[in-house]
This record gives sequence, structure tokens and C-alpha cells, in this order.
Amino acid sequence: MSETNLIIAGVGGQGSILASHLVATTAIRDGLRARVGETFGAAMRGGAVASHVRIGKDVFAPLVTKDGADVILALEPLEGIRNAVNFLAKGGLLLTNTHPWVPTDVNTGRAEYPTMEAIKGAVEKLGGKAIIIDATSLAQQAGNVRTMNVIMLGALAGTGKVPVSVETLKQVVRENVPPKTVDANLKAFELGFAATQKG
Amino acid sequence: MGATDTIAGDTPGKRILLMGNEAIARGAIEAGVRVAASYPGTPASEIMETLASVAPKLGFHAEWSTNEKVAFEVAAGAALTGVRALTSMKNAGLNWVMDMFMTIVYGGVRGGFVIAVGDDPDAHYSSNEQDTRFAAFYGEIPCLEPADQQEAKDMTRFAFELSEQLELPVMVRSVTRISHASGDVELGAIQKLDRKPVFDRHWKMPYRWNVYGPPGAVEKHRWLHSRIPLAKKAVEKLPWNKLELKGKPKLGIIASGLGASYAREAVKRLKLEGKVAFLKIGTPTPLPEGMVKRLLKAVEAVFVVEEGDPLVELQVKAIAKDTNCDVEISGKLSGALVPVGEINTDIVADALAETAGIKLREDKERELARTEASKLVAPRSSTLCAGCQHLGSYWALKQALRKAGGNVWIVNGDIGCYEQGGYGLFAKAVKPSFSTESVRYLIDTPYDTLDTNYIMGGGVGLMQGEFHAGYKDGAIVAVAGDSTFFHACIPAVINAVYNKSKGLFLVFDNSWTAMTGHQPNPATGENAVGEQAKVLCVEDIAKACGVDFIKIVDPFDLKATTAAIEEALKFDGFAIIVSRRVCTLQAQRKKVFAGKRIIVDQSKCTSCGLCISLGCPANTYKDKKGGIDPLLCNGCEMCAQVCPTGALRIGE
Repeated sequence: MSETNLIIAGVGGQGSILASHLVATTAIRDGLRARVGETFGAAMRGGAVASHVRIGKDVFAPLVTKDGADVILALEPLEGIRNAVNFLAKGGLLLTNTHPWVPTDVNTGRAEYPTMEAIKGAVEKLGGKAIIIDATSLAQQAGNVRTMNVIMLGALAGTGKVPVSVETLKQVVRENVPPKTVDANLKAFELGFAATQKG
Repeated sequence: MGATDTIAGDTPGKRILLMGNEAIARGAIEAGVRVAASYPGTPASEIMETLASVAPKLGFHAEWSTNEKVAFEVAAGAALTGVRALTSMKNAGLNWVMDMFMTIVYGGVRGGFVIAVGDDPDAHYSSNEQDTRFAAFYGEIPCLEPADQQEAKDMTRFAFELSEQLELPVMVRSVTRISHASGDVELGAIQKLDRKPVFDRHWKMPYRWNVYGPPGAVEKHRWLHSRIPLAKKAVEKLPWNKLELKGKPKLGIIASGLGASYAREAVKRLKLEGKVAFLKIGTPTPLPEGMVKRLLKAVEAVFVVEEGDPLVELQVKAIAKDTNCDVEISGKLSGALVPVGEINTDIVADALAETAGIKLREDKERELARTEASKLVAPRSSTLCAGCQHLGSYWALKQALRKAGGNVWIVNGDIGCYEQGGYGLFAKAVKPSFSTESVRYLIDTPYDTLDTNYIMGGGVGLMQGEFHAGYKDGAIVAVAGDSTFFHACIPAVINAVYNKSKGLFLVFDNSWTAMTGHQPNPATGENAVGEQAKVLCVEDIAKACGVDFIKIVDPFDLKATTAAIEEALKFDGFAIIVSRRVCTLQAQRKKVFAGKRIIVDQSKCTSCGLCISLGCPANTYKDKKGGIDPLLCNGCEMCAQVCPTGALRIGE
């Protein structure tokens, strides 16, 4: 594969940007080039955030093209489908957390939140595959709910879909999370890794 | 990762991931910058944030100035003494500095002076899409335009050298997709200049730093003009301007800055590698004319790709007039690309395919699946934060306007988090009105409050024109934040007093420049490098400006805030209310605010909807029953004050 296109989607505050930087840093250490394009609105917290990660020997532009994402890693399911609609490649993978961060629009009765079954069905119709894991519960199991993004990174590594070495990725996680949370984050990584490796 | 040690480390050859803005900062660090000044503005803020984070360690001066004009002058002043200086700003920030910008070039600088501008095509975070490369053209200074983060770093570093070589300021023009994107960057060595600042009034030219001193402005303009050939010669040799021309291709692509990255991807996708000529541009002004001419003579058609307006295309057309009149030139002037919004690989590939006569296949089945899937995608509207003090200010303003605002009030907005008071959320379809009379519109949520909004400090000026026009159909109000007040409102406040304007100016004082990422300002008590600083109070300044009605309120106290605004609306003069409470996010981070738990008793809810009209994202209203999202709620108590039945009440 000459290049890999990944989108990490979530809600501001979930750690999607950090996760994307960890993947890109790992790729750079592995000798590849990397680009991370971030898209987010004006809201600082609670807004939709998507980081486009492009890895390869010959990548230039910061954004994944339409229908160009090999993997969409969704820390939040609605953000997963939001990005899958425009970006998931045929044969691509939506790897999503089950736990919703319900938008104000839904909370105030102005819109409806889609079911996981509907999301899965839509992804399959788009010619993709969906893997769904309860990363938020796994993060609680790891001892810190804020490690959810690292659960998802572990799960991503478990699929083998991103051309970075698992050991380097773990090392980069270790170096870039707050020192007090290293153990919880490494445990989170293993839990996420196991979740997708089994399936 | 942007860690301080990495950014400040003298580790040439190391490859790391840097955000475009960090790369620009690193370029300045490598060039031995001595003074850096800026005012926050997305997408450029991280340039100064990065510089400020390492300034004490590396021993240079970094500051958040009160506005871009002051920042520009601080940096320019340093450059006059021969040291290297940088100022950074967002697109609109450059508008604030245009006076000095257009004048300092008459005589130029002694030390390298770099103006780093973050443009925002697609207006992700801005009130316009202006292409500031035109300002460089206008001011007759060179503009460097990076295609990625590596170039952002390398060009910024080089810009200081070029500036010293030409004795002119040099612009580095970034865009959101460079500034807020990250890429692999190989670091260079950090130059240790240790220059002594010197001053010489007549350095190489009599009255060098005084545009009125003989020779005057016209002669100094002539000097500026004489630098253009030198700049043109210099850019011809830069590694960022590169012509790839092999064989006899019919089509040539000229692509500038980020446009070159998109164009390369598009060429790859359409399998045109080696079949088209490619001129990559790193200096949209002045253009490497020699390369442009060589390309124009070799091909039959040219496709120009650039982010923003057609600056390169216009110049290429002018050069073609004397070089090869028959060459067909397409781009944003021809309509092949639209000069509105931003470009990307898909847009460039589609336009290039059209130009090259390549047909792209459509997948109808997939388009159907896309349409179906998109029905699942609920919007995620941007709101003010849970427990944001602006929610209280807006709630009180709405109540007071209903009582004392007359029939059709005007609320003039400004730039900051509170500008969301004019976002009109939840995908409301508004039909245009063609009334010849004033029209009253309901304020449902705070997001429906603002009637006008343009630029920093604009509202408090507009309100005075509305008053002097003789507007009598309702109250005239302006709102602005503390950082905006210091940035741009003070002359307008003095003007209101001096020219006897009437109306209410409501200052939303949360002590931080919050929207751009919580930078400190004169209301904060600290400066860019984290030192303690004097706190300036809006009310003290208002008093010194001669304002007769000044009140300070706490926006979490809805009743008192409403009463104060009502009183101010009735005041026959120019009134200022300072609605003051530290930004809730900052208060939580610094652990100076711990809210109370809100108890929900839905049996008492009468579905009046007042709670959600407060506009707080922590309030829920499923099946028309008021509730709280406990994960978001921080216990500010405002919704409990709003609820008339006790369905939401304050707990322990």
C-alpha cells in the first residue's frame, strides 16, 4: 500500500486530535511521511472534530479525499457516520466506539440520534465494514475513562490496517500521555488491541 | 507534539510532527528572532503560543499585544534597531495594521522583519475569506507561500534573511490547512545571533526611519520600487520555485503554496505524472518570471491552482501577453475553479480532469447509499459551553429588552465566543424580509440575539451611527468582550461620550481571550510568558473616558443583571455595563469554581421551555420535559433560576 488514509473522528474534548498526532508521530519514527489535517468548528468543547491522518512515502495534501478513507476511527458513533458518509472508501472500515455524546440538537428534541444498527447498515450499503466496540466501558476497566482514545488506538492497531509498528505506537503513547496515567493508558492500549484482534 | 523542549531544542536533522503554526514559530526560532508580538486570532494563534512557551528559555521577547497594529509596531520597532522580529496575525488582523504596513515599506527595515499571516479560505474561523497575498503585492514586498509544514518552517527561517537582503519586511502567508494541519518537519540548526540593537537615523539613506524627513515619501516610494528587481532576481533562485518541464507537454500546471500540494495529488490521481509540465510556486509575489516565461513558451494551455483569489493567475496572464498570447490560461478567473471557499484535492482533480479532457466515472449506486446514510447524520450545532457566563448575560439582556427595549431594538455584536449570539442555531430556515418598516424578531435562544456583527470593535461604532441617524423604534445596544474592548473599543467609547451618542454598551468580561484558546489579555493578570501583570479594569477605562453610567454585574445572578440592564436601557445617555465573571472553562481548570448539583423533578415540569431557551448545552428537553445532562452540567445554577416551577432546583 503506497499510502494509508485514516480519519479519527470525535467530539471536542475526547482526545481525537491527540490520537491522530500519536499515529502520525509513530509513522514518522517508522520513516514514513505523515500529514494530519484537522477539521473542527468554532466551538472549543463539544463540537464535531475530525483529524485526517495521511501516511505514506508520497503524501502532500492535508486532507483525505472524498471516499478516500481506508479507516475511520470514531470515538463517538454519530461522528463516525458523519465522516463515513463523505469519506469512507469502498471496502473501508468504520471502527467505532458505542458510547454516544448526544448533541444539543438531539437533547432539545430538534433531531434524532441514529441507532448503532442503522449506522452499521448504512456503512455496509456504502460498501464498507463496521466494527463496534464499547471503548468507554473498556476505558473504565483500564481505570480511567479518559483513556478511551487510547482504547480506540489499541483497537486500531489490533486491526492491522495502519502501517505502523505496534511497539513504536505504544512507545509514543508512553511518551505523550501525562506521566501519572502511563499505566492506565498502556493497559487501555492492550484492552483495545485485544478487542479487535479477537474479532 | 509541540513540547517546549522539542521546539526549543537545537537538534538539526531531527524529524518530528509539527503543526503549521508551530513550524512557523520554529522557523523564527532557528533564525534567531529577538522580538515577537501578536494578537490572538484563529488560525494564527499557535504561532505566538509556541514562541511564548519558549521565549523565556531562549531569551527573546514574546508578547500578546493589545491588538495587531500595536503588535506590528512593536515588532517593526525592534527591526529598526537591527534585530530580527516577527509579528503574526490572522487574515483580518492584517487589516488593522494596514496603515503602518503600507508606510514602513517606505524605507524598510534594518533587521529581518517577518509578517506571518494565517489566511482562512472557507472562513472556518473568520468573518471573511480575504487573500492577504494581495496586501504584499499592494505594499510591494515579497510573499512566501508554503505548500506544507516543512516549507512553513524553512520559508519563515529564510524570510528573515530575505528581509535583511532587501531591507524590506517579508510576508509569510499561511492558510488554515497549513497552520492547523501537521506534517513531518526536519529541524534545522538554531542561529545564535546575539546582535546588539543599534540606532542610526541616517542608515544608508537620510532620515531612513522618518517618512517625512528628506527625501520625503515620494522619493522613499521610488526607493521601495527600486527593490522590486532585486526581489525578482532573488526569487528566481529559491528552492520553493521549481519548474518541471520535460519533453513537449501540451498542458502546464502553475500551482502556488498549498495549491501545489493539492495539484500534485490531483496529477497523481489522474495519472498525469510526466505528461504535464509543473511549475511549483513558493513566491506568489514577485513571481519567478523567468520560469513562468519558459513554461508559457513550451505549452499550449496553463492551469493555475492557488488558494484564495487569482493573484498568480492575473500575473501569469500579464506575462503571457508579452510571451505567448496563444496559450490558454484557466484557473479562478476563467471559472475553472471558483474563487469562493477553499480548494482541495477533489476540487482541483475535477477541474484538472475537465481541463485535460479526462472523463471521471460516477458511481450512482454509491451516491444513493450516501443520500440514505446522510439522513442518519444529526447536526451537532455549536453552542456556548455548559455554564458559560455569556448565557446569563444574554438571558438578562433578553429579559430587559422585552421590558424596556421598545418595539424593535438593535443589538450590535462583536468578535469573541459571544458572537455565537448571532449564529441562529438549529438549522433555522429564515426567509428574507422586504419590509419598508422596522421588523421585530423574537429571541428564542441566546443564539438569536445579535442583529449586526462584522469585526473587532465594530458594534460600538455602529450603534452610534444608528443613534445619530435618529433611530427611534427601539433600544440601541452593543456587546463586546474584554479582550475586544482593549483591542478596538476604547476610541469608540471616547467618541460616544464626546459626540453625545446614547445607548447601552454591554461588556462581557470573562478575563480571557477565550475563543482563540484562552490567551491572557490586560484583564487577566498575567502576560504571554506567564508572568504576573497588572490587571486593567474596563470600568476604570470607561470612567476615564467620561462615561456617566457604569455598572458592574455578575452574569450568574440573572435577576440583578436583568435589573441593571433595564436601568441602563432607561438611562438618557451612553451607558456601560460590565458583566463580569471568569470564563467557566478557565475557572474549572484553575479549580476556582465548584458548582452545585442541580436536582431535577420532572413531575413539576410544565413544558414551558424556558430552561432550554437559556441555551445551555447541559439542559435537555426530551419529550418536552426539562432535564440535565449530568456529564456536561457544572452547576452554575442559571437554569434553576430560570425554571419557574422548581422542576430544576439547586441542590447541595
